[in-house]
Amino acid sequence: MSEAALKHLSETQTKDIDENIAWAKINQDVLRSMENPRRGYWIAMAISVALFSVMIYAEVYQYMYGMGAALLNTSHMWDLYISTFVFWIGMSHSGTLLSAILHLVHADWRKPIYRFAEAMTTFSLMTAGIFPVIHLGRVWNFYWVMPYMTDRGIWPNFRSPLIWDAFAITTYLTSSVLFLYIGMIPDLAICRDNTKGWRKKLYTWLSLGWHGDDRQWRNFRITYLMIACFLIPLAVSVHSIVSMDFAMAIMPGWHVTTFPPYFVAGALYSGCAAIITLFILLRYFFKFEEYMTFPILDKVCKLTFVIAMVWTYLNLVEFASVWYGHDIPSKEVLLAKAFGPYAPFFWGMIAFGMFLPFTLLSKWARRNMKFLFVVSVLLNVGMWLERWMIVTPTLSLGYHPWGWNIMWPGWVEWAMVGGSFGWFGMLFLIFVKVFPCVSMYEVKEMVFHRKRTIYEDVDEMMVLHKGAPTAAEAGSTNNGGS
Amino acid sequence: MSQVKSGEIKTMSQSKLDRRQFLKGLGLGGAGVALAGCDLPSYVTLEQGEENVISYLAPDEYVIPGVGVWYASTCLGCAGGCSIHGRVREGRVLKLEGNPDSSVNMGRLCQMGQATLQSHFNPDRIANPLVRKNGSLVEASWDDALSLINEKANSGKAAWATGAISGHQRVVVETHLSAIGGSNHYAIEQINANVWQTACGDIIGDPNPEIHLDKAKVIFSLGADFLATFISPVHFAAHYGEFRSVPRGTLIQAEPAMSLTGGNADHWVGIKPGTETSLALGVANALMNKHGISGSGISNATKSLINEHDPATAASICDVPADRIEKIAASLAANSPSIVLAGGTATANANGYSAAAAALMLNQILGNIGVTITSGRELAYPQLGLIEGNSANLKDLAVDANKGKIDVLFVSGTNPLFLAPKSIKMDEGWNKIGFKVVLSSMLDETASAADVVLPLASSLEDWGSHIPAYSTGTRNLALQQPLMEPVFSNTRGFGDVVLGLAKQAGAPGLDEYDDYYGYLRSAISVLKKTDSEKEWNSFLMAGQTPVPSLGRKLSYIDGKISQTANTATDGGLTLIASARMGMWDGRGANLPWLQESPDQISKVVWDSWAELHPKTAKSLGIKDGDYVTIKSSNGEITTRAFIYKGIHPGAIAVPIGRGHSALGRYAKNNGVNPLFILDGGVDAKTGEIATAATRVEVKNAGKNKPLAKLMEIDRQHGRKLVATISADKQRITEGGT
Amino acid sequence: MSSLFGNILKGWTDYTKGIEEGGHHKYEHMWGMVIDLDKCTGCNACSVACYAENNIATVGEEKYKARQSMQWLRVERYFDEPDIDPGAIDDENAMQERGASFLPMMCQQCNAATCEPVCPVAATYHTPDGLNAQIYNRCIGSRYCANNCPYRLRVFNFYSYTDEDGAWPEPMKQQLNPDITVREKGVMEKCTFCIQRIRAAKDKAKMENRKVKDDEVKTACQQTCPTQAIMFGDLLNSESKVTQAWERQQVKLGKYKQDRENPKLRGYRVFEELNTDPSVLYLERVREE
Repeated sequence: MSEAALKHLSETQTKDIDENIAWAKINQDVLRSMENPRRGYWIAMAISVALFSVMIYAEVYQYMYGMGAALLNTSHMWDLYISTFVFWIGMSHSGTLLSAILHLVHADWRKPIYRFAEAMTTFSLMTAGIFPVIHLGRVWNFYWVMPYMTDRGIWPNFRSPLIWDAFAITTYLTSSVLFLYIGMIPDLAICRDNTKGWRKKLYTWLSLGWHGDDRQWRNFRITYLMIACFLIPLAVSVHSIVSMDFAMAIMPGWHVTTFPPYFVAGALYSGCAAIITLFILLRYFFKFEEYMTFPILDKVCKLTFVIAMVWTYLNLVEFASVWYGHDIPSKEVLLAKAFGPYAPFFWGMIAFGMFLPFTLLSKWARRNMKFLFVVSVLLNVGMWLERWMIVTPTLSLGYHPWGWNIMWPGWVEWAMVGGSFGWFGMLFLIFVKVFPCVSMYEVKEMVFHRKRTIYEDVDEMMVLHKGAPTAAEAGSTNNGGS
Repeated sequence: MSQVKSGEIKTMSQSKLDRRQFLKGLGLGGAGVALAGCDLPSYVTLEQGEENVISYLAPDEYVIPGVGVWYASTCLGCAGGCSIHGRVREGRVLKLEGNPDSSVNMGRLCQMGQATLQSHFNPDRIANPLVRKNGSLVEASWDDALSLINEKANSGKAAWATGAISGHQRVVVETHLSAIGGSNHYAIEQINANVWQTACGDIIGDPNPEIHLDKAKVIFSLGADFLATFISPVHFAAHYGEFRSVPRGTLIQAEPAMSLTGGNADHWVGIKPGTETSLALGVANALMNKHGISGSGISNATKSLINEHDPATAASICDVPADRIEKIAASLAANSPSIVLAGGTATANANGYSAAAAALMLNQILGNIGVTITSGRELAYPQLGLIEGNSANLKDLAVDANKGKIDVLFVSGTNPLFLAPKSIKMDEGWNKIGFKVVLSSMLDETASAADVVLPLASSLEDWGSHIPAYSTGTRNLALQQPLMEPVFSNTRGFGDVVLGLAKQAGAPGLDEYDDYYGYLRSAISVLKKTDSEKEWNSFLMAGQTPVPSLGRKLSYIDGKISQTANTATDGGLTLIASARMGMWDGRGANLPWLQESPDQISKVVWDSWAELHPKTAKSLGIKDGDYVTIKSSNGEITTRAFIYKGIHPGAIAVPIGRGHSALGRYAKNNGVNPLFILDGGVDAKTGEIATAATRVEVKNAGKNKPLAKLMEIDRQHGRKLVATISADKQRITEGGT
Repeated sequence: MSSLFGNILKGWTDYTKGIEEGGHHKYEHMWGMVIDLDKCTGCNACSVACYAENNIATVGEEKYKARQSMQWLRVERYFDEPDIDPGAIDDENAMQERGASFLPMMCQQCNAATCEPVCPVAATYHTPDGLNAQIYNRCIGSRYCANNCPYRLRVFNFYSYTDEDGAWPEPMKQQLNPDITVREKGVMEKCTFCIQRIRAAKDKAKMENRKVKDDEVKTACQQTCPTQAIMFGDLLNSESKVTQAWERQQVKLGKYKQDRENPKLRGYRVFEELNTDPSVLYLERVREE
């Protein structure tokens, strides 16, 4: 799309979705996005694989050499691995927010964009899960944190927040995979009906014999709703539990009561920002202008701004409670964050996390793709910095001044961080070519519902929109094809 | 080497004493006798009798899997001669501890003693004899090496250079020396108390008086680092522990750069290097004029010198505030008995002897002589006595070698090529010596430059007897016995080698001894007038045995005190080559435990450093961790700066011990050796090399790399880590005067 | 299978019991220490003895500088004396007027140890001896314990030191103490109060059917200390010197604030206010003013 056309669209697009869009076209557009990867796709894939390969190399090196390869030391037992872990867990909250929470509150504008957000959730979790494992000194024993059967009757330590993490993440991952998959079944059936070869086999197998009859739809709706209800408390608890890795510790700067809500807000924040990023990318690459519309983007931006303000508030609460408390070590940590060697990163976090979202108040900004893309990436940089600024400054300044020490990550850690983006990108790129990244049946639903608000009479509508099936049949075999 | 005769094993098997009982007899808690000198056969052939066949499955006599047995021996980490117990398990010595029965160290040990294990198990030990061929050292057999020595040993004027040496090793060395027609024995120890001891000998008539730190209420030490490097550090540290018990004594330390003892002082007086005499005179002045102490026994010459040094004058010379001098005097006057010591940096300058004499003068004024400084005892067998060694001998060796007075030199237990300042031209002298034999377990600088290197057993594999540098009460002969079989099988004990050399050289009366063990045992039998196996074993179990000694008497004859020498105005700094417990004179440099044991004050590991006062550093534009070039008239060294306030602004201190070009993987190319650039000045009276008097120019070398340190911080940042209470309050709660 | 489940459930019962009761209450011993900072000269003998006794690896300059050193017992040195003369250290032009202050720090064997609850695999736990134990072969190296130790007294094997170019090239390996393991990379370790010596003494006492005597266990640091600044013993044994010293200082276990009759007594525990309940009592350094 040309610059002028884009600008024109940004000024004229006022509806979440064009209710007159033909259902066949929806199928066509989405299915098209799954075919024939273009050069840009392969370049992106190559970059992702390259980053991931460097990560594998770094991990092998670290495995052979010991954790010292990551330049960790007696004061800094944790560093980027844990902060990046928290970052990715945060990213995972976007999908849940869009699909589950907005689903429950009937915000139907979520429909064209929730699928990729949900995929993001799953892949973020799969990325996040790598970090607690690779940061183990004896990575080959990682499964010891699970209460597996052993004749020696050895249990993990259920008092440890790391165990809670392990449980929370595996539960959350399982649920979000289920949620993603179940929500995709009607679409998989459409795919099944429109493909050949290995894809056909795959979709046949995955669509579980979906043919869109009434009973299937009813069961589907109930299941989907139930998982959505189950997922919401889980999402909140997952990041609360991650925050407890810090909040349960005694260290100044970590031992903060507001951490659970603060982490959840931060997670939603970074998740929303990531949705904006991917929204823009997918829209651009797959030419989804008709589905990923400016009004929807506008809504996501507003949502991001609100969450950013919640996060900012909680951040200020934390600073204030430290500042007005009389825990000197905590105050030292706060001051060191602001004025110590990590200050540029701290202020970077403040600038990107607290001040940058105010640009979203501008309508111009919310309608400017390029600007929004940069902003959304920077918001996430800010959120990544936030996690780093939680983990590292505290470790550089504990109770005992003997341990005071500034540490900068080395290539191994950066390779792992970069590689995590590669891994995530790789998964996501595979996903968009194998699964529909826009929910076809739900977009059809949305179109249908929007239409109903215009055309009072359903029959009239049906006449106007010749050949379109009823909503109940939207994903069915017979009428789904192009 | 000794062979345990098969008869001995027979005795054991015939006596129905089974192995277990026997070892039980040796005891877990007590000390045992090591059965094996070396080469204990692990099997006995059938021909020797059926009852002697030992199953292959049965471990060696001294091995019970899982059970550690403690054997007594003597630590040779320094001349202190602490008695040790070594824990032996499965035939390996694992840990050393002090022998609680010892009057030297009362069961305690310093870090160097602990680390002796690593010199024993050192990977860089010499495994085989080395002979110089075509300019490089190549491995040779013992026979070849010994016959080469035999060929060359009588080819001219011979001499021996050793470290501190005592007991029967000294006897065999001297026997060998006279057999090869030599007379010069250079005992070289860089870290010593020679000046203090000489002064004590001259002034109070006893070079090694007993020093009762525990009885003193105030210790005023002029540079004597008695907790780390002074005569017998563990002994003094133990007494320091008593000194710090209720009623608690006060420690005042005056020195230009903070030593470990200074680091423990209640009052640390940073003093301009080389002006300690004036400080002592100033204190004496205040004592006499302000506190009305008469000063009996002090000569008029000294009294007039004291009168010249009122605190204000002394203050201007020493760069110590006059009120501090008066405070020291007040403290000494109010608390009796006290003790005044001199050593370390105070005696390491041209006027060092004066400082020691002044310290003794203060003791005389304060009435400490006979109270806290009492007469020591003298060994009834002077031929066994300890030759402490000093650095004057090092200079003598260099001078004599350069003059061509030495043709054949045997060296063991010292490393003259590392210790000698370049200014005394040891290298050139060394090359003038026709034939150099080094007996050593490590290939240090000296061994690397030798013609023949004979690999020695470590101190934990060897037999020996030693007279500790210092002990109170009866004098003991400390026994050294092997704690395990040699780690390197082709090494031999020092005594064995020297005895062999002496026999080879035709020394009379040695033929009856197969080895040094036999010699030592028979010599001690004569000494103790008993030849019974049981007695011998009990000596070994105790690790020491009393030997007759004679009491001495103290007197006081004023020593010659001259005025302070340091009036340098060249704008440079005074280099202090500081002695540290750890690296010591460089012998600890190849022991990773000691390399990684942070220096007590600077907390630096694995490298040398140069201590600078912040004021000096600022004026020179030097920051912590900057490389600094220290240039004297005899060369320069470059090391990193450690900036702190425990040094006089006119001084720069670099520790001795690192900067090896040989010795092993851990020592080589690690740090710098400040001894190299000393200007060769000596103490006027004793000839001790003045290690704290060289004037140097210091420049920033333009590079910075932070030192590896235990800690980056100097202060507690509001945490209650080391809480301090004033002595007054402590006296209220815990008593004392 | 039944034994499998049986054992699992048995383990579970023990586990919950431990949780509900807040750990062990029936201590057999409560090993404790007293360190007299006025006697400590900072000579480092204790630290080296600890290396010798406990198979601690030396790491070399670069790793030491990267703060990856392995010492279990570090002797810290401070130049300030906030209690006596707080401003003295700030004057750059002056010289030090007093010596330094030394603080030997080894694992404080906290009774409310912050490291214990956070270990995901329960590799660090409280023994019935009152020790804070570290099970090396259970440790997976999450390093949470070390992060949560306010004293920074846990050390981690960032590398493997057992190779020929590691800490013990042949024949140095022969010196390794067979009573305790050599730790591999990826494992946390720390001072154990010389648990192997405690074990040996307990075994001996058990064989002889008696209680462990005071002074029967000496830790390596205590044993070698030239000034005998370190005292070690059983705090449950009312006869022991350590118990008497704690009583003399009116310091009690289980409190984060001591209400002593005589506030001028010298005994204190480092970071006691964090309620970690350490077992090491320090006696304040004394200085003549």
